Amino acid sequence: MPKIDFSLKDLQRLLRTDITYDELKERGILFVKGEIEGLQEEVISADIKDTNRPDLWSAEGIARELQSHYGVREGLPEFKMGRSGISLNVDRKVGRVRPKTVGAVVKGLSLDDESIKQMIQLQEKIHMTYGRNREVTAIGVYDLDRIAPPINYTTVKPDGIKFIPLDFEEELTPAEILEKHPKGREYGHLIDKFGEYPLMIDSAGNVLSIPPIINSVYTGKVSPQTKNVFIELTGQEVERLSIALNVLVAAFYERGGEVLSVDVNYPDGTIVTPDMTPREFSIDAEECRKILGLDLKKKEIINLLKRASYDAKSKNGKLLVKYPAYRNDIMHSRDVIEDIAIAYDVNRIDPQPPELSTIGTMDPKEEFCDTVREVIVGLGFQEVLTFSLVSKKNLFDKMNLKEKEICEIANPISTSWNSIRNWLLPSILDFLRANLHVEYPQKVFEVGDVVVIDGKEETGTRTEKKLACAVSGGRACYEDISSVLDAFLRNIGVEYRLKGKRHKSFISGRSAEVVTNGRAVGIVGEIHPLVLNNWGIEKPVAAFEIDIDGIK
Amino acid sequence: MYKLTEEGQEYLERGLPERRLLDILDAPLELEDASKRVENFSIALQWAKKEGWVEIREGRIHLVDKPKALPQEKALKKVSKGQAVDKDILKVLVSRKLIEKVREDILKRAKKLVGTEITQLPEELISTGLWKEVRFKSYNVKVPGKRIHPGKRQPYQLFVGRMKRKLVELGFQEVTGQLIETEFWNFDALYQPQNHPARDWTSTYQLKYPESGRLPDKKIVDHVKAAHENGWTTGSTGWKYRWDPKKAARLMPRAHGTCISARTLASNPEIPGKYFAIARCYRPDFLDATHLIEFNQAEGIVIDESLNLKNLLGILEIFAKEIAGAKKVKFLPDYYPFTEPSVQLSALHPDLGWMEFGGSGIFREELTKPLGIDVPVIAWGIGIDRLAMFKLGINDVRYLFSKDLDWLRDSKVL
Repeated sequence: MPKIDFSLKDLQRLLRTDITYDELKERGILFVKGEIEGLQEEVISADIKDTNRPDLWSAEGIARELQSHYGVREGLPEFKMGRSGISLNVDRKVGRVRPKTVGAVVKGLSLDDESIKQMIQLQEKIHMTYGRNREVTAIGVYDLDRIAPPINYTTVKPDGIKFIPLDFEEELTPAEILEKHPKGREYGHLIDKFGEYPLMIDSAGNVLSIPPIINSVYTGKVSPQTKNVFIELTGQEVERLSIALNVLVAAFYERGGEVLSVDVNYPDGTIVTPDMTPREFSIDAEECRKILGLDLKKKEIINLLKRASYDAKSKNGKLLVKYPAYRNDIMHSRDVIEDIAIAYDVNRIDPQPPELSTIGTMDPKEEFCDTVREVIVGLGFQEVLTFSLVSKKNLFDKMNLKEKEICEIANPISTSWNSIRNWLLPSILDFLRANLHVEYPQKVFEVGDVVVIDGKEETGTRTEKKLACAVSGGRACYEDISSVLDAFLRNIGVEYRLKGKRHKSFISGRSAEVVTNGRAVGIVGEIHPLVLNNWGIEKPVAAFEIDIDGIK
Repeated sequence: MYKLTEEGQEYLERGLPERRLLDILDAPLELEDASKRVENFSIALQWAKKEGWVEIREGRIHLVDKPKALPQEKALKKVSKGQAVDKDILKVLVSRKLIEKVREDILKRAKKLVGTEITQLPEELISTGLWKEVRFKSYNVKVPGKRIHPGKRQPYQLFVGRMKRKLVELGFQEVTGQLIETEFWNFDALYQPQNHPARDWTSTYQLKYPESGRLPDKKIVDHVKAAHENGWTTGSTGWKYRWDPKKAARLMPRAHGTCISARTLASNPEIPGKYFAIARCYRPDFLDATHLIEFNQAEGIVIDESLNLKNLLGILEIFAKEIAGAKKVKFLPDYYPFTEPSVQLSALHPDLGWMEFGGSGIFREELTKPLGIDVPVIAWGIGIDRLAMFKLGINDVRYLFSKDLDWLRDSKVL
């Protein structure tokens, strides 16, 4: 769901076609599973929905993908690469802290404000979504001309070095950066548990960065004057980092940069990155026809694949497809088949409802609940609908009850919603409290879900359906509500008896347990004035709550 | 004091049934013939026999005696005029329910009102017939009735009920689930990787208590684990990471209704089969005009060997037309971790223009196979909160869970 901004002019330039805004909005953007949300002063805001396609999170990527759909080129995009001869040496000590890194060099750039904006946005989106907030992927881009290779990826003690981080003017130690720099405070938790922090540093002792926190001002500032850049990524797995590196260098390539590889020297061997060799996957044309319901010839499938930036050819009865090295999402033949459907244009496919003979039914318990509602409505009650997330206080303190175990939220956004209710009446009282100035008598009910703790269940809890019913105002008393209860239970054919029961939410001597088949299934009574005070309700309330499972 | 009952009044005007029998007996008549010609024939015959006016021989009724005036008729006339009548005859008339006693106090009260103009119509005037002797004050009948509040369904609940009926008509079976789920069913079984951003602290609720539940059947767990790690037998590469059963066992309030679909698939569903659920779901959001702290989703699956993308679009089109009343539809390619291909439905509403209506797709094989399903499964979800807002004509989503009793009392049930 990354939301990105780009300029229409920049996109037209990269796409090498004067695509109109309307064409992009109505058709073009669908090829990248996107949606245009708005256009303001030439800036387009788009929602790119595929969280597995970081290659589409920038103007460069969108343009590249659209080129083949709009006939600017077809098939796999071409990448020409060379070697930079620069080494990135990985110290054994990073193994515990942030074990992996990859790198690349791009030369001959002529950046402008728009391309720098796109580069920063792409980095941010990759950090956030793909990089899980920098935990698994963090990117550093540097001015190569200020770096003295080789570059060393090592660790440093919290106070082991001093440098000026981006956005600051004074030299800080890594420990001070974690404490004082906004990025340090935001991402410090990723490294502060280790005795030493990751460090990128060149052979002249210039600090490049403390990954994944912040670059140095000296090397880490990219401007329109920057011609050559060094890119490194750090994280947990080489494969994941490589995809993101490929996405970044592919974007620079679209801007006319010359991409050169870096030798990454691990203690146990060297890898050369980036590796832009197209990846391969094989799919079955018959599976494609079956899943899409389209009678496509092999040739047509191959042509559609070429429009979707793949190359494809027949091999041993199957289709061997090649796809760009920046794609992260091809796991299964279905992923390729979907691209065929998108290239074909989903809106060109004839919708065809499945002809299956099935019998529709309601869930029996839900159906019973509807009957319950019908009877209670017939008794003159207004149905209400309330939230099941409540404040724990409402369930116990306000109801004059001692706390017991209930389902509690670990990360509530407010204490008003920190628990899931274990009974329904507090929600009804909360409703009455919101209507103190509305005409009385008020007769309301709800059939709703509550959650109770049950260690025997797979989910440690049980969801139960309850009916709560209350009458308030005038001289609302026990008899008013017990007669409703009686009419309700008689009409659904439940034999019951009332057994006096002390319950601290109700007035002593004016509450009873509803017993059927020897089992207590509910409580009825006059709400205790202390409880009414707690809620700020100024009229008497008589109410009952019944367990639907107990009477079904 | 006695007055005539309705039946008594009728006989006073038309004569007693036995009178009418005597009147047609110029010659003996077959029983069946007579029964056709005399109303209340059995009453007539009973009394005529009792009085010795007729007798039955060989199935025919013969006239024995025909009195000039019937004593009971004379008595009825007298009672109607308020005159005294012989006690024995009175008893007979009471037993025949032709007359009934008028209570003196009722009469007294009724008599007091004679000649006056009344507002309320009291019972005593009706029962004594003295309503004839009073005038009725005219009301201002143009004033609308006093406002009263009937018992009534909540508008959103009504909407949900109608939606369910529609889905049942379309052949879907309703299924339900639990509010609290393990992450296994909410995410893992749906092939959502454990480090997916949708699974983190800011995107979903987690539980402080109880923290963890149990994983299901080992076979299912092993297959789901393998699907995540290496694709299992699905031909997929999988997500290529180490799957953690502890994380999967963690509990959470369900974040979508799709977990119900996953459980349905794992519990030996019918093939072909169509299932749906209306599910209350939870995601950390503040309450405002466009967000709810908990929301409802309609969620469903269609299972069959024959299904394809065309069918998926077909189902979406039916929903748009049948449920949203849309005239035109548009399909937008979309992304969900658990479906491929994925399509979002955009429907042209007559008043509101294009609106996004729901997501859908064909479940990935990495999801279906580990749950024991080897055929394509179409999955769809409709954000019914938004749809209900459109249908109910409200622009603040909080009204779906309105705490405003006045608003509820004024809401329409249409």
